[in-house]
Order: sequence, then C-alpha cells, then structure tokens
Amino acid sequence: MLEDLREWIKEEASKCMFCGFCETVCPTIKFGPHRGYGPRGRVNIALYISEGGKYTEEALSSLYSCLLCAACTLKCPANIDIPEIVRASRVLYSEDSLKEAIVVEKKVS
Amino acid sequence: MEKDKIVRDISKLIGKDKVSGDEALLSIYSKDPLGNVGKALAVVFPEESKDVSRVVSYAYKNDIKIYAQGSSTSLAGSSLPKEPGIVISFERMKKVLEVSLVNSYVLVEPGIRIDDLNLELGSKGYMFPVDPASSSVATVGGAINSGAGGMRGAKYGTMRDWVLGLEIVLPDENGTIAFAGCKTLKCRQGYDLVRLIVGSEGTLALVTKAYLKITPLPETVIVALAFFPRLENLMEAVVDIKSQRVQPYILEFLEKRTAEVAAKSIGRSINIDGHMLLAGIDVNREAVDRYVEWIEKLLKEHGGKGIQTARSWQEAEERGLFDIRRSLFVAQSKMAREIYKNVNNAKIMLLIEDIAVPPSRLIEAVKGLKELEKKHGFVTMLGGHVGDGNLHPSIGFNMLDPEETKRAERWFEDLVDLAISLDGTVSSEHGIGITKKEALRRELEARGSLKLLEIMKDIKKVFDPKNILNPGKVV
Ligand SMILES: Cc1cc2nc3c(=O)[nH]c(=O)nc-3n(C[C@H](O)[C@H](O)[C@H](O)COP(=O)(O)OP(=O)(O)OC[C@H]3O[C@@H](n4cnc5c(N)ncnc54)[C@H](O)[C@@H]3O)c2cc1C
Ligand code: SF4
Ligand code: SF4
Repeated sequence: MLEDLREWIKEEASKCMFCGFCETVCPTIKFGPHRGYGPRGRVNIALYISEGGKYTEEALSSLYSCLLCAACTLKCPANIDIPEIVRASRVLYSEDSLKEAIVVEKKVS
Repeated sequence: MEKDKIVRDISKLIGKDKVSGDEALLSIYSKDPLGNVGKALAVVFPEESKDVSRVVSYAYKNDIKIYAQGSSTSLAGSSLPKEPGIVISFERMKKVLEVSLVNSYVLVEPGIRIDDLNLELGSKGYMFPVDPASSSVATVGGAINSGAGGMRGAKYGTMRDWVLGLEIVLPDENGTIAFAGCKTLKCRQGYDLVRLIVGSEGTLALVTKAYLKITPLPETVIVALAFFPRLENLMEAVVDIKSQRVQPYILEFLEKRTAEVAAKSIGRSINIDGHMLLAGIDVNREAVDRYVEWIEKLLKEHGGKGIQTARSWQEAEERGLFDIRRSLFVAQSKMAREIYKNVNNAKIMLLIEDIAVPPSRLIEAVKGLKELEKKHGFVTMLGGHVGDGNLHPSIGFNMLDPEETKRAERWFEDLVDLAISLDGTVSSEHGIGITKKEALRRELEARGSLKLLEIMKDIKKVFDPKNILNPGKVV
C-alpha cells in the first residue's frame, strides 16, 4: 500500500518538464526564500523522496508550506495534480517516520 | 573540496541564510527542462552584487565551478551544473532599480522575470519587447545570457538589440565588479563587450545589473487568425503583407496537426482547416477599421479559411485568438506523452529545436522536416515565427530505449544539415549550451569558418582563465 503510494508519486512527479509555469500563480513562492517554496520545487522534492532521498529540513519545509490551493495545476502543461502529490508525500512521510521511530525504539530497547 | 566546507565558508562570507547544502534542495537546482540531471554541491542566493563578487572570488581561489541560474528554463542545457559545483541562483536579486522614460532605459537586477518587468513598465505605457514563450518564468539575466527572442522577434529583434550596459562580475581573484557598455542609446566603447556577454550563457561573466532599452507600448494592435490548406498559400499571404510596407508586430505559424493537438489540449473545439497563421499589426487607433478590412481581404484572397479578427490585443485575448499558438509547448509535450502512454517505464525526453532559415526558404524547411519525420519515424510537432524564419520542430523519445535515442540523435543531425543547407542556423534564440555544441561546430565548418571556434575558445580563456564559469558549455 505504502509502496504503491511511493510508486504513484514517482510516476506522477516524473511527468514534470521543469517549465516553471506553475510558479507564476503560486501564493507561497513569493514569501519563501527560494524555489523550494513553489510547485516546481515541491513536485521535484517529492520525486527526490520517492526515489529514496532523505527527508531533509528543506524537503519538509517545502512539502508542509503548501496551501493545497491547486492554483498551480491550472497552469501545468503536463496536467500534474500537484497538491495531490504534496498530500501523498505528507502521508508517506508520516508513515516513513513512524517506521523510523519504531526502528529507533527497537534499537534503544 | 568537501561540500560541507564550501557551505560553511560561503556562510561566513555572505551570511548563512544565503547558502544551502541541503540535499533535497540541491536536487531542484540540478535539473533542467530537457531532463538532464547535474550535481550542485551548494546553492547560493546572492542579494547584492558584492555577494556575487565574494563567492566568485572564493570559487576562483579554490578552483570550484560556478553555474549561474535564473529560472533554469534553458532548452539547451545551459543552466545545468554539469560537473560538481556551486549554483548561484539570482532569484532574490529581482528589483527594478530605475525607470527612465527620458533616457529610454530601465535598470534592473538579473533575477526579475520578464513579465514582472513588463507589469511595472506597462503602468507607464512602456514595454520591454523581447517576449520568449517562457516570459512569465524567464528572468532577465537568463534571457540576456541565452540571447533569447520571442514572438515579437521579427519587429523588435532579440536580447542583443535591447541591452545597453551591464554590471558584471569577472571570474578572477577579486571577483572584480565592472561595467560594460553605456547608459546612453549610442555607445562606441571600443570592442562591443556587451554584445559578447549577451548570449554567452554564463560562461564569461556573471550579470548583476542590466540597463535595458525600453519602448512605448503600441497604441493598439489588430490581430488576425486564419488557416491555410496549403503552406504555399500561407507563405504567399506573408509575402503579400510584407510587400505592402507593413512590418507585423507578430507573425506566427503552427503546422496543421500541431494546431489540432494544441487546440484539443486546451479544450477548444475549433475547425482547424489547415496550417495556422496568426498575425498582429500595430496601428494607430484611427486606422483600426482600415487595417482590419485590409488584412481580412488579403487573407481571403490567398485562400485563408476560418478567419477571425480582433480590433485590439485585449479583444484578441478575450476571444482566445492567441490560445492555440501559446499552447505549442503543451501540444509538444502532450503528443510525446500520448505516444508513450502504453509503454511501461518510459522516460520521455522532449527535443525542442530552434533552427532559423531565411523566411523565403520556410516552405523548403517545412517540407524537409516532413521528410525527416518519415525517415526517422518520429511524430514532429512544428510551430514557429514566420516573421523571422525561426522554427521550433520537436520530437519526443524514450531515453531508456538505446535504439530510439540513437535514432533521435540522427534526426537531430539531419535537422542541423537541413538548416545549414537552407542558409540557416542551428540556434536562433535558445543558445548552444551542451546540446548544440557539435551543431555549432558543423555550422561553422560548413561556412569554412572553423577558425572562429578557436577564437571563441580563446575569448573564453581570456575572461575565465581557470575555466570555472559554466564549464563545458558553448565552446
Ligand atoms: C516552455 C518554454 C518555452 C520557451 N520559449 C522560448 C522562446 O520563445 N524564446 C526563447 O528565446 N527561449 C525560450 N525558452 C528557453 C528559455 O526559457 C529562455 O532562454 C529564457 O530566457 C531563459 O531564462 P531563465 O531565467 O530560465 O535562464 P536559465 O535557464 O536559468 O539560464 C540560461 C543561461 O543564462 C545563464 N545565466 C542566468 N542568469 C545569469 C546571470 N545573472 N549572469 C550570467 N549568466 C546567467 C545560465 O548560466 C544559462 O547559461 C523556452 C523555454 C521553455 C521551457
Ligand atoms: S497548491 Fe501548493 S504549490 Fe500549488 S499553487 Fe497552491 S500553494 Fe503553490
Ligand atoms: S507547470 Fe507542471 S510541468 Fe511545469 S514545472 Fe510546474 S509541475 Fe512541472
């Protein structure tokens, strides 16, 4: 189930052509410190994670600063459902971090 | 040098909020629209010229490569950190510093997006006319360094016609800040280094400020859209327009099938009766009726079908006359995805090419492209700027399929030969980057001018003796 989700994110986010058109309507990118706070950044960070990348501080800031307003999807020539990718990545994170926590707990005990 | 040390050192030099070594963040500064993946070791967000100078000086002393980025929308691989190095992203340097109508210039920082600049200028009745299809995203610094152009190219030219002066940071020990060119419209400052920097793709110097020429917005622009069953008729209409002492504001073309895909992809149910021509002509308000009648009649006489006209740019926007042309990129990417929708694990690469031929040879170019489609078996999407002969044929292929990748390479080689044989060029506005280096060599060779490539390499060495700025690009 979790692996299906990971695969779905990978598949959907791989459609991104890096054109950046989505950035022009995103309400958060203007207030963030960099491209990570815009849809292009979020999709590609989600892709990075789905391919086994680390949940770094910037990755989490990027994914959790999204308002899920979906303005970006209207601009996307690849028809990517960007907020859905963000949502799915958040689910993945909570599941993955739970697993991590269990491993740590086991190690401690 | 070790990545963490680079981040620590740069933090000390310009402040820790202006640099990051976060792996996830770096992954989004290591990509481009072609699907290339590079390796950024750190990303730096300068806020003023001095920040850039300090980082460049540091990189020079420590032999670290530097890659400038605006919005990373280059279609030639120009902004990719191909070898491990520092990405300098200009996204925080995006101020309009001065607008001077009396001097006909605007002074800007390089990270401002072209549409944002035009929003500011539009409120004063002025504009910056270079309009790549990516203008909502593309930055001035990226456009300068790509030598970008756009729909208004036939009338207003490309970036090289609109840059007056540049503040640049040189890749030397001190990260020297220098100013090339003038604030004045006329300028004869020895060799023209401004034009050398324009289109140099971040390989010679980093641009930190730019004086750009501006021009008044036209009083109004009438717009006409028509479809021609035969390409010959479309071209005759174009020649007729030009022979009547009219220099169109825009003159755009979409091949029939591409127009169909584009229209479908944006849900427009319009009858595409042939190849599409979109013309805009800037006129005085009093002359609108006369020009609308004239162009309608002219298009009809040449066999144009489904003719629609608008009496102003705004009306054309409201009625969606630009929509199909603006959806070329959508059509290109949609077509590629459609073809591979049943192929498991396909990684689609879109090649969007950028040849130009003299407009009088456009028919031969389009016919040649059709032959290449048959020969190599790639569905080709095609549109471009008839006004200046710039065509953007595109194909999609599966990067994971070695046979297809080889075939795509051969398609590109044949395309280069086609452009050269028609007295054209391999890149009109996208630049050379990594994808067209061999094509540039072939073009110069075909003109018996390979010596110029050596001169270009020498120029690179003079500016950048340690080869730290965007290495491996252009030459
Ligand atoms: C959908 C789509 C449509 C496009 N349509 C057009 C079009 O119609 N016409 C056209 O010309 N191009 C077009 N392009 C290509 C591209 O968008 C343009 O070349 C654009 O000007 C690049 O701007 P950028 O800010 O993204 O630059 P980037 O891609 O970030 O950089 C481009 C080059 O400039 C260098 N650079 C950036 N900033 C600086 C700086 N401050 N100092 C020194 N070097 C710097 C980079 O190193 C790189 O070599 C299109 C691209 C896409 C994705
Ligand atoms: S959904 Fe998220 S990424 Fe998309 S526009 Fe809204 S805030 Fe930006
Ligand atoms: S608009 Fe779509 S394809 Fe373009 S960068 Fe954004 S998510 Fe990617």
